[in-house]
Amino acid sequence: MAKAEFKVVGTSPARKGGVERVIGKGIYGIDLMLKDQLHGGILRSQYAHAKIISIDTSEAKKIPGVHAVVTAADAPDVRYGRSYFDRYILARNKVRYMGDPVAAVAADSPAVVKQALKKIKVVYEPLPVVIDPEEAMKPEAPTLHEDMPLPKNLPEGVKVKNVCSFAAVRVGDAEKAMAEADVVVNEVYETKMIHPQYLEPRIAAAQVEPNGRITVWANSQGPFPVRQEISKTLGIPLNNVRVIAAELGGGFGGKGSGITSGAAIEPICALLAMKAKRPVMIVLDKAEETISTTIRSGAKLYIKTGVKKDGTIMARIGKVIYDTGGYSGFGAQAGGRCTNMLGGWYLMPNCHIDGYVVYTNKQVCGPVRGPGGPQAAFAVESHMDSIAAKLDMDPGEFRLKNIPKAGDKIVGVPKLRDVSLGETIKIAAEKIGYKKVGAQFIAPALGKNQGIGIATGSWIESAGPGGGAVVKVNEDGSVTVHIGKIDMGTIPGFGIPLIVAEELGVPVEDVTVVNVDTDASPWDAGTVGSRGILVAGTASRLAAIDARNQLFKMAATQLECSPEDLEIVNKQIRVKGTPAKSVSLETVATNAHNVIGEVIGRGYFDNVAAVAEEKAHGSSQPFTTHACIVEVDTMTGNLKILKYVAVHDIGFPIHPVAVEGQIEGAAAMSIGQALCEQVIVDKDGRTMNPSFVDYLMPTINMMPRIETTLIHGYPGSGPYGAKGAGEIACVPPMAAIANAIYNATGVRIKTLPLSPANVLRALKEAGKA
Amino acid sequence: MSITITTTINGKAVSAGAEASTSLLEFLRDTLEYKGTKLCCNTGECGACTVIYNGKPINSCVTLAADANGAEITTIEGLADGDKLHPVQQAFIDTGAVQCGYCTPGYIISVKALLDRTKKPTAEEIEEAVSGNICRCTGYNKIVDAIQLAAQRL
Ligand code: FES
Ligand code: FES
Repeated sequence: MAKAEFKVVGTSPARKGGVERVIGKGIYGIDLMLKDQLHGGILRSQYAHAKIISIDTSEAKKIPGVHAVVTAADAPDVRYGRSYFDRYILARNKVRYMGDPVAAVAADSPAVVKQALKKIKVVYEPLPVVIDPEEAMKPEAPTLHEDMPLPKNLPEGVKVKNVCSFAAVRVGDAEKAMAEADVVVNEVYETKMIHPQYLEPRIAAAQVEPNGRITVWANSQGPFPVRQEISKTLGIPLNNVRVIAAELGGGFGGKGSGITSGAAIEPICALLAMKAKRPVMIVLDKAEETISTTIRSGAKLYIKTGVKKDGTIMARIGKVIYDTGGYSGFGAQAGGRCTNMLGGWYLMPNCHIDGYVVYTNKQVCGPVRGPGGPQAAFAVESHMDSIAAKLDMDPGEFRLKNIPKAGDKIVGVPKLRDVSLGETIKIAAEKIGYKKVGAQFIAPALGKNQGIGIATGSWIESAGPGGGAVVKVNEDGSVTVHIGKIDMGTIPGFGIPLIVAEELGVPVEDVTVVNVDTDASPWDAGTVGSRGILVAGTASRLAAIDARNQLFKMAATQLECSPEDLEIVNKQIRVKGTPAKSVSLETVATNAHNVIGEVIGRGYFDNVAAVAEEKAHGSSQPFTTHACIVEVDTMTGNLKILKYVAVHDIGFPIHPVAVEGQIEGAAAMSIGQALCEQVIVDKDGRTMNPSFVDYLMPTINMMPRIETTLIHGYPGSGPYGAKGAGEIACVPPMAAIANAIYNATGVRIKTLPLSPANVLRALKEAGKA
Repeated sequence: MSITITTTINGKAVSAGAEASTSLLEFLRDTLEYKGTKLCCNTGECGACTVIYNGKPINSCVTLAADANGAEITTIEGLADGDKLHPVQQAFIDTGAVQCGYCTPGYIISVKALLDRTKKPTAEEIEEAVSGNICRCTGYNKIVDAIQLAAQRL
């Protein structure tokens, strides 16, 4: 689709909501303060695994200034979960990780809250703790959930325990093909748990209205899922719960919703407000977040691939051990995705992968940016280089040999509509310094201990569900847009205003996207899954077109023409080719008051139709290749990333600067996971590095300049051919860096992070330090 | 024990009570309701709470409110001149450096302090000036662009 067709989409005007953010007037969740509000706090388990014998709150209740103390006994006996209902908002009978919420307090001040939490007496009977998921699967391991059955689809004869869910990839006959392969490479990779570490702590504020309804303010990515959770866990009908979204200081999947965040702070806060009969606000402490809210799971990845001498991949056999922590959280979904992605995004005629999602006494798995993908890609793309080395082939060439073409299938995707993978590989190779000589790529000359690494990735966007948009044209011609997705540096501030301005012929300044209020906004699953532009973008575009049709119908009567003859330019509705024959948007929108009441356009993203379309024509998903040059200090194990390029096919970029920003941010997150990030848990289940003092994240000094190249590829299924861009850049970085280390030193590191200590150890073991 | 703190914030004299243990960040946010200065780690590691204290950027979460007595403090609310944004603020908007925006006030304050010290900062000086600020959204590219643009415009 040519850019010239459009006036607004494809440009990068200043973010909506930018001014209030730079002057310190953006109202984030943490900035809220309700009239007469009490402070809430949560008592968390000090054991990673224990029976709760008794909870005595009487002393806490006696403290002056304490207005409510709640435990599981105060809430309905209802369990929640994404696919498996294995969790209470406050622990009942048992705790399963150190940080599990046990009780909560509302009091006059944070100091009194602290005092009261200390006075709650919980008698625990400690149980054996299991931290390693492979240990947890053994028959002698402690049982985490006595009443959760093993998954029904476990292969016959498999004796395991604590398995929350099981995913399987079965393509062709992998055993047979493996036996026929010329070369077989068998490896095991491991990634560690990381925390999304959005900067703004999670909050919840709740108040009971005089009419008995409950209003909850949340800095969640999914206000509607939060509403549903409050309704379910507290037994209140949906129409009596109102969730208002506050601005979010980051989320990255960690603020997915109460359920998948593992925090459940919204229902706990609502329960406190109901008990105290006063508004209550809970603000989590950052260190408390690190131990209690959801994380990107660690995974162990067994991967074995058989290839022909010429580099054609014949078969893969693999196993994924995905650590979901104390509860199912998002484990089934993320672990399932990880299992599929271990099959790669290349041609794979035979593939057999078993994916076990396993309970352990740790923090709970959440839908953190690209859930399951980065872990799988670390293994897949490191392994591709190992195979290339064994074949004595250039890693880029080996990949190009196995790329699918349009119409082919890859593991987890029955049919691809287009494949830009090869194009991204070639462009990334050139950008990082390869010279193309004929059909051959010649690597650039590098200095001592420097290496070059590439890694590719893809991402699936068809995870569902749909969502809606409402576009109202006001009587002055300005436009108000309602969607169910929140702004955390994502589409409401960047893409949506452009789409609506494009379709309605109004300046971007005249479009306001209002924040989510479940009483007024259309339903949506939230800002998750790279689906902002796909779902809300499509819905907003259709809603704007619906509003435009209503305007044209009314204007046509006035201008005595047919609606098809009309266009809107600069807020004027005019007859195409006869611009003098026109009426202002303002006039038509005002006149609407007398006819249809108000111009209200409605649009939605029909996920069922999208899935059917994908089934018929194939998936036009995004692909990417990242490449980097890394220098390894063989004395210290320190890495310096000298150059980093990211080539992405994200279809048509509606707001190119925003797309680049998403790519740079997502890449940075995985570069952090590659270099330093890790939540460290000891054998008793205690998090050793909860605060920012010990939890290392990439700072500006560590980060390379990420040179992003956007290629348009085949149009995606989003509006104007856009594809989602929020997560895919998390997929390749870890392997790209590991591959560069291998290229520099000949040492293959298979366990993250690639921290100085780990790199040095690996170099020493190989006699290279 | 409550103490009275008299200080100048954004050129305005203020006086209010605080506990001896109250941090400057709590004092600003909760007592005086200057909510533009952000709370994150509360341990001096992220820079979200940066304010200018007698000309120097500091982390207000690890500074006592009591230390503000007699000091001059500039917060993010004190930068714009009416409706006219400070060049650093404008540069952050213009370069797309504001994603969630939660780190933004801290960065803008750190950068203002830098540009008050030196009009033509080197790449190293820029990196040094914001090495205590964490941004989780942008991967830092556009923040560097913003700082360079602001320096150019000043
Ligand atoms: S909140 Fe003060 S440095 Fe992080
Ligand atoms: S813009 Fe979100 S943390 Fe920097």
